[in-house]
Amino acid sequence: MAQEPVVRIQNVTKRIGSKVLIDRLTLDIPPGQVFGFLGPNGAGKTTTIRMMVGLMSITKGDILIQGASVKSDFERAISAVGAIVENPEMYKFLTGYQNLLHYARMSPGITKERIMEAVERVGMQHRIHDKVKTYSLGMRQRLGVAQAILHRPKLLILDEPTNGLDPQGIRELRDYLRVLAKEEGATVFVSSHLLSEMELMCDTVAVIQHGRLIDVKTLGKENDAADRPQETAFEVDAPERALRLVKEGRLEGNHLIVTADRSATAEINTKLVLAGISVYGIRVLTRSLEDQFLEMTGGGQID
Amino acid sequence: MAAILVFLTMLFSALFYFGSPLNMVGAWEAVDQLSFLYYLVTIYSVVVASDIVAGEFTWGTVKLLLIRPWTRTKILVSKLLAVLLFTVLMTAVFLLACIAVSFLLFPNISSGIFPEGPGAFGMIMEDLLYRYIDLLVITIFSFMISTVFRSGGIAIGLSMFILFAGGLFTMLFHPLRYPWAKYMLFVNMDLGKYRGGQIGPAGMTLGFSAAVLGVYVIAFLVIAWLVFKKRDVAA
Repeated sequence: MAQEPVVRIQNVTKRIGSKVLIDRLTLDIPPGQVFGFLGPNGAGKTTTIRMMVGLMSITKGDILIQGASVKSDFERAISAVGAIVENPEMYKFLTGYQNLLHYARMSPGITKERIMEAVERVGMQHRIHDKVKTYSLGMRQRLGVAQAILHRPKLLILDEPTNGLDPQGIRELRDYLRVLAKEEGATVFVSSHLLSEMELMCDTVAVIQHGRLIDVKTLGKENDAADRPQETAFEVDAPERALRLVKEGRLEGNHLIVTADRSATAEINTKLVLAGISVYGIRVLTRSLEDQFLEMTGGGQID
Repeated sequence: MAAILVFLTMLFSALFYFGSPLNMVGAWEAVDQLSFLYYLVTIYSVVVASDIVAGEFTWGTVKLLLIRPWTRTKILVSKLLAVLLFTVLMTAVFLLACIAVSFLLFPNISSGIFPEGPGAFGMIMEDLLYRYIDLLVITIFSFMISTVFRSGGIAIGLSMFILFAGGLFTMLFHPLRYPWAKYMLFVNMDLGKYRGGQIGPAGMTLGFSAAVLGVYVIAFLVIAWLVFKKRDVAA
């Protein structure tokens, strides 16, 4: 990718006592994307995010945000970042608006109009002048997002943003993140252990386990590759006879599974039908991100 | 908070008014009598200082605070300044309330203790200054405990302990008996005892005590700063 990465995580190690939480993690995050950070519980997602925003010290290595080091040039690095780390904790005795005002004062050049704009972005305009202690978890989550986007950050870091949101809230957040990435040119960095969620939300996903980077995958390209041979399942009434007829593939229950491209699939179907075998269904077996993830992390144990 | 302070000032001055023989107590003397209420200002300040950093950790808001474009040093300094402003404001409220109530209830006459006129005001202010220094030391101690242990309860508890057990410690470890005792915080807390050029036990002077207090305060601040700067903020 030709563009300068927004974040460069360079060979970062985090050690607490003798325990290595993050082990030589190197990762570049390209701009304008929704970038997913995936890993089982305890893999080091939150630790990495805490180091990115300076809540935790970095034992070894460095993190550059827009070229500024989090270690040595913190104020410049962090001014491009808006974040929610775990649950967005607010001052419960203040209203949502007062909370936002408080945070707005700590960044330069945020007008009252900008605060209201952020409030409308997250759809909180009706309740923003109520005390935060009367808010539901979903509303706090929205207020957290409003707080994070106040200063139009180039990089939005969200740690498990869908935690505690209802399906509608998750969907809205998803759409909203897409809009942010597209229209404001912001890069969104989302961590999660919810695979299906990441699949829908992200352009690229980095998988991490035991503090090590396992894989970086670009999503959403599978559909273009329809002509490539893929595992295809034929649901038939006589699987053994079908297998003898086709002479390849394997059986799973009454499914015959063959690796075939589109035209081969049609040919096999014709063959089966002509032989008097009833075909109830044909479908391509796409491996979901979840399957790939479980494969990569080997089921995933926390240790 | 300020309201309780003013109310108690009025209450006690009224008690003095009805409890003393008429026209025998001068207004400045009344102000002097009321100054024991300054403990309340100290307690307020300790409570505020104990919670100002620890509270952010308890609420979890510290995470959102630290990811603003300000270094941790600046955030801690602004917290300290907020505490100091509070102590100054409370002290001013207290002083004004004391003087106002005293001059309303008592005649402005000279009495055995104070000469008439500006001399009395000067003495009251000097006394208040010593008390304020006392307050500052305890408040900054509380601020440090609050930062280091992230618990307002511990900060309040320990500070109150120092405030009230200080006299006891001074008795137990008297500088005359233990030479090292004169470097203890408690022994040096009350600067008022040097008034009029008096020399404390074991040759302690105002300058000596002030220096010891200064070193303690700087040590408290440095500890708070180092811990706050290095701390990994989790959960």
